[in-house]
Amino acid sequence: MTMFHFFNCAILTFGPHAVYYSATPLSEYDTLGTSVKTAVVYLVTALVKLVCLATFLKVSESDVFDPSQELLKALIGFIDVAGLYFALTQLTHRNISQNHKFQAVGLGWAFADSVLHRLAPLWVGARGLEFTWDYILQGLEANANLMLSLSLAALGSLMWLRKNKPKTLIPIIYACAGFVATMPSITSYLRWGLGWHLPEVVGFQLFTSLTMALVSWQLFSACQKPSA
Amino acid sequence: MADPGNNTHSDQRQHVFASFYSIITLAFILLACVELGDASTVVDVYRLIQYDISGAPFGSRVASINHHAASSLFAPGSDLSRTVLVLPLRELNQTFIREYIEQGKPLGGLLLLLPQFFRSEDSQTVVGHADNSDKEKMKRLLADLEQKLIHSTIQYPVYFAFEDEDLDKVLADIKKNDAAGQPATATTGGYKLIVSSPAPKKLASPTITNIQGWLPGSKADGSSNQLPTIAIVASYDTFGAAPALSVGSDSNGGGVVALLEIARLFSILYSNPNTRGKYNILFGLTSGGPYNYNGTQKWLRSFDQRLRESIDYAICLNSLGSGDSGLWVHVSKPPENAYVKQIFEGLSKVADELSLKVGLKHKKINVSNSRVAWEHEQFSRLRVTAATLSGLSVAPELLENTGGISDNREFVSEAAVIRSVKLVAESLARHIYGQEGKNVDIFVDNSSLAVNPSYIRSWLDLLSRTPRVAPFLSKDDAFITALKKELADHVAEVNLQHDVIDGMFTFYDSAINTLQIYQVASVTFDLLLLLVLGSYLITLFSFLVITTRGLDDLISLFRRPPPRKIKVV
Repeated sequence: MTMFHFFNCAILTFGPHAVYYSATPLSEYDTLGTSVKTAVVYLVTALVKLVCLATFLKVSESDVFDPSQELLKALIGFIDVAGLYFALTQLTHRNISQNHKFQAVGLGWAFADSVLHRLAPLWVGARGLEFTWDYILQGLEANANLMLSLSLAALGSLMWLRKNKPKTLIPIIYACAGFVATMPSITSYLRWGLGWHLPEVVGFQLFTSLTMALVSWQLFSACQKPSA
Repeated sequence: MADPGNNTHSDQRQHVFASFYSIITLAFILLACVELGDASTVVDVYRLIQYDISGAPFGSRVASINHHAASSLFAPGSDLSRTVLVLPLRELNQTFIREYIEQGKPLGGLLLLLPQFFRSEDSQTVVGHADNSDKEKMKRLLADLEQKLIHSTIQYPVYFAFEDEDLDKVLADIKKNDAAGQPATATTGGYKLIVSSPAPKKLASPTITNIQGWLPGSKADGSSNQLPTIAIVASYDTFGAAPALSVGSDSNGGGVVALLEIARLFSILYSNPNTRGKYNILFGLTSGGPYNYNGTQKWLRSFDQRLRESIDYAICLNSLGSGDSGLWVHVSKPPENAYVKQIFEGLSKVADELSLKVGLKHKKINVSNSRVAWEHEQFSRLRVTAATLSGLSVAPELLENTGGISDNREFVSEAAVIRSVKLVAESLARHIYGQEGKNVDIFVDNSSLAVNPSYIRSWLDLLSRTPRVAPFLSKDDAFITALKKELADHVAEVNLQHDVIDGMFTFYDSAINTLQIYQVASVTFDLLLLLVLGSYLITLFSFLVITTRGLDDLISLFRRPPPRKIKVV
């Protein structure tokens, strides 16, 4: 029974990535290499973030929400953005269109994130006899994270790869990118500062990721119209 | 021509890869085998005793549990052979006992929940939620249940646990499910109780340890061996439904404490050569009491003939803490016997002064019957005059009144033990110093020879926290060493005598185990979840195909590829 539950949670956490890859034209253009390279970049970024957190952050005994610490964590979170920039611009990709590039990068990024953060707890916890809703919620969180990564990659590619953008949309693009980049800080504030429970936090994450995905889709298609 | 150098190089690389992969597979296998103790509740549980008498099995014969839980609200007539019943002591009723314990209806397991005040540790600090009459009722219920459990053969595991917040919550949940008509099974989820324990093994040669203390009297002209001896004996071990919980405060914690206090008082008198009496005093803390006083018999058999003949009489202490109902002197010689008369008169005189009632009971020994109900009978069988002073008026049956779980510190009266100590010490001292009939009080209150209530209280508390079932006490158990040390403080010479319990009794191990309570989801839930996830992924797939490649592509996935024209050559 418990392996069954582990299998269920695993397909909830990692299934959408595989489905996304096979359903969209990504599979036709064989962009697996890009995704793998992005995953490696994510790993390096995570390491750098870890080192920075260990160096600059004070360990607090209680779960009190400390604004200065959270600000520091948010700043370190921007290293994520730097990593994404590196993956989008600096890596040599095969000749794929920008449309597919950001999707491949976002997919690789989200997949690496899920594996790193969610595989180990899933393996250790979901196989036990005791039943909790935690792992299902974690899977939903992984889904939300996938959508957020794709949005961030889309906005990132708009910001750094596309040269001619309509002037009016630029501030919106930057604002949305900033919002998506600070999502982790917002989530942790909700959980520790306001004391929301896990289901509520995951619900919020799903909702915001859906809206951000829609917004960035609209922005992307709006920016695509002027260029032929 | 093959190049040997290149071949070995690639061979080496292959070798390295092969070992690398095998290490990875080994790591995966190890990870998979990691035992996870992630239960929501983990409780210490105490197993019902398992023993044989001459090969006939008694008690619970199984130790491990792996079934779903149910409460007392189960539908009558339902099959419980794969469920564990969680039953607080209050909810026990006679039909249940009759059907499942005596008639042996199949049950997956039984978990009995005892109220907190039966817990032996920190009995002072446990706040009583029940009033005294409620406690008395529980005690009687538990004593009855213990007797029934001890004398039945039960083929399913039986465990005792103490009620606490976690267990109460779990039980309330189980009751809610049962009341809603959804008993826990593999297909409906609920709680699963697991006790993982290997099959119980026989305890190889269980030992009994007798502790004897010798206080020599003052030698007049000859050696002290020619002085007469008086023996004071008490058995210190217990037997109950749960060996890890059988603390026996009254049977025979009170007797042990009384013996220690009497030893202390006489050691004060005997330490001064001027007040040393002309009798030796022999103190005996015997083991094997519940098993027909087996230990006492072996102890007496080990005596030198001269010592045994020098014993004037022996007083055995038993169940002294029962309160105000008076004490009984049990003898096996007829009451007209001069020695018996002397002992009883000595005791009655002191008892009158203490306003305590003392009665005399005579029970003839049947030599052909191996049942020994009182400790003094072992002395009488070897022709030594002896009597047992006890709060019980009727001789107990085998394994009755042997200090089980219900015999708790709550129900022992310290004052009764103190009175008994005064009674025995005073009558003994008057006999030793020849002051019988005279109005002399030797152990007066507020003197240096007063009975010390805090000594009695602290030893009674210690005994009420220590389970003392003899087969589970090893030769060098800390408690036996403590008793030996304490006795050594008061008397001149202390000896330990180790022996093996009579072969008629066999005991099995595994007295304490850990219970893990898991909250499990049903199979239907998992299947439902799989269905939901499957449809979610399929919807996601279709959505993505439609939005990125167009509806035609989706349809084309399902159409068979057009048959290729076979070129006929």
